[in-house]
Amino acid sequence: MTTGTEEWHADPALLSRYLAGNLDAVTGASVEQHVSRCETCRATVGRLLEPQLLERTWAGIRDGVERPTPPYPMRVARRLGLPEPTAVLLASAASLRAAWLVGAFLSLSFATLAAYASDGTALAPFLLAAPLAPVLGVAAAYGPRQDPLEALVATAPYGRTRLILLRTIGVLVSVLPVTVLLGLAVPGPPWLAAAWLGPALALVPVLLALAAFVGPRIAATIVSLAWSGVVLGSTRALAPTWPVEAAQQGVYLGLAVAACAVIAIRAGTDRQPGVAL
Amino acid sequence: MSAGTSTVELTGVGKRYGRTRALADVDLAFDRGVTGLLGPNGAGKTTLLRIVATSIGADSGEVRLLGRDPSRSHADVTAVRRELGYLPQELGYPSDMTAFGFIEYVAVLKEWNDREARSQEVRRVLDAVGLADQASVRISRLSGGQRRRVGLAQALLGDPRLVVLDEPTAGLDPAQRADLRRTLSALGHRSTVLLSTHQTEDVAALCERVVVLAGGTVRFDGAVTDLVATAVGRVWLADEPGDDALVSWRTGTGRHHVVGGRAPVGADPAEPTLEDAYLLMLGPDAHRVHTPS
Repeated sequence: MTTGTEEWHADPALLSRYLAGNLDAVTGASVEQHVSRCETCRATVGRLLEPQLLERTWAGIRDGVERPTPPYPMRVARRLGLPEPTAVLLASAASLRAAWLVGAFLSLSFATLAAYASDGTALAPFLLAAPLAPVLGVAAAYGPRQDPLEALVATAPYGRTRLILLRTIGVLVSVLPVTVLLGLAVPGPPWLAAAWLGPALALVPVLLALAAFVGPRIAATIVSLAWSGVVLGSTRALAPTWPVEAAQQGVYLGLAVAACAVIAIRAGTDRQPGVAL
Repeated sequence: MSAGTSTVELTGVGKRYGRTRALADVDLAFDRGVTGLLGPNGAGKTTLLRIVATSIGADSGEVRLLGRDPSRSHADVTAVRRELGYLPQELGYPSDMTAFGFIEYVAVLKEWNDREARSQEVRRVLDAVGLADQASVRISRLSGGQRRRVGLAQALLGDPRLVVLDEPTAGLDPAQRADLRRTLSALGHRSTVLLSTHQTEDVAALCERVVVLAGGTVRFDGAVTDLVATAVGRVWLADEPGDDALVSWRTGTGRHHVVGGRAPVGADPAEPTLEDAYLLMLGPDAHRVHTPS
């Protein structure tokens, strides 16, 4: 079909106003319709556009395609004000992904349910799972010391120690609130919801100190077995709340202080600065 | 960096792993340009490169990088790391990351905090290694050669003044090697590039200077042409394999390429290659692991 519009071309002044967004809605829409069909006018538009604007737009499109989408928990954290570079570093930690967090949440929920169903006499599942969730999360985020990628991390200005501490904080921040909420639902003395925090916060530095010597996997195994031993051992003759009572909390605090001291000493004596963990 | 000091200065550097001596009393200095490290497996190439990349410390001797002693303080080692690009010998890649994601991750570790500038830089280095089209492909789907180039790309981030590449040509096909040579020679105009390889052709094509290591000590340090010159008059083409040759092999033409020893009867002198010179330099040491192809 031949209409007059194919012979007609928009003059550059009109196109400039169109590009600047200075046309009224009806004129703007008809210029847009015309440009989408007319090769000559599209070429004119190309000449009128600033190259920088084109470059910026193209870079934005490539960003949208090439930049990996951060995992859901990271997008939430970004909205809450987490700096963008930090989010990139945390996103690569397996235990900060939705799948891991959902898994931790489910196992804690079952432990809570078990305590609830037994009317507070079976606290062991909750006391077992609650402190281990952050410990295992930190171990998974840590990455094995012999991992070949760590050669790069260790020689980057950001530093391996800083990265490990960042991920540790990331795991604690993402796991602890949920665990505290579930702890409130566990029947028993009200202080129980917070009491498990003692061993949880103590076991994390113990794990980090051990991992510096034997790697995170073995360290996580040792810590998990030790804690399971304490909890399961106490179920035989002692009160269900024994593992988190005041006297034991003192022991955990002592362990945490000792572990921090080991980390600090290692940081000071290691031949290579910046490789404390 | 004050005048008169080199980018990399190693003085009497030694390193042991348990009872094994990896490096002994090594004195070397490097400046702008590409230097190749040659040597059999276990010669100490990787140990030397790891020391220069601040990945490990030396047991003895003095290490100065960009005018600083990296073992002195955290601030010193960090200052060196800000101007360092390092490709380790074996680099594990998180398989679920894309090429872009992996390099962006390393870029953040190298303190590229501005998102827009970081994106541009990640694209620049992907372009430089010819992987611009593979930016959004998962690393697990890339070929071995492409993965190696992803590793090389991260070492180019920020145009570092000191670039340490441990076997950058491993797993590359001839066309990719040629591309890499182009990238590296451009880099060598601005930066101090140290690379190790098993391929004497790579050194011949890429490096102005070559260092031959064996048993943790420096056997040769000088221009590539000077190393080749040491083999003049010691390489022949002959009808018989040499009796007391260091190595000899039958070439495609049916004649034998004879390196070292006495000239066999009726032998014609041959133009030595860098490989011939390297084999002669190491003598019997080269035999243990290096077989000419």
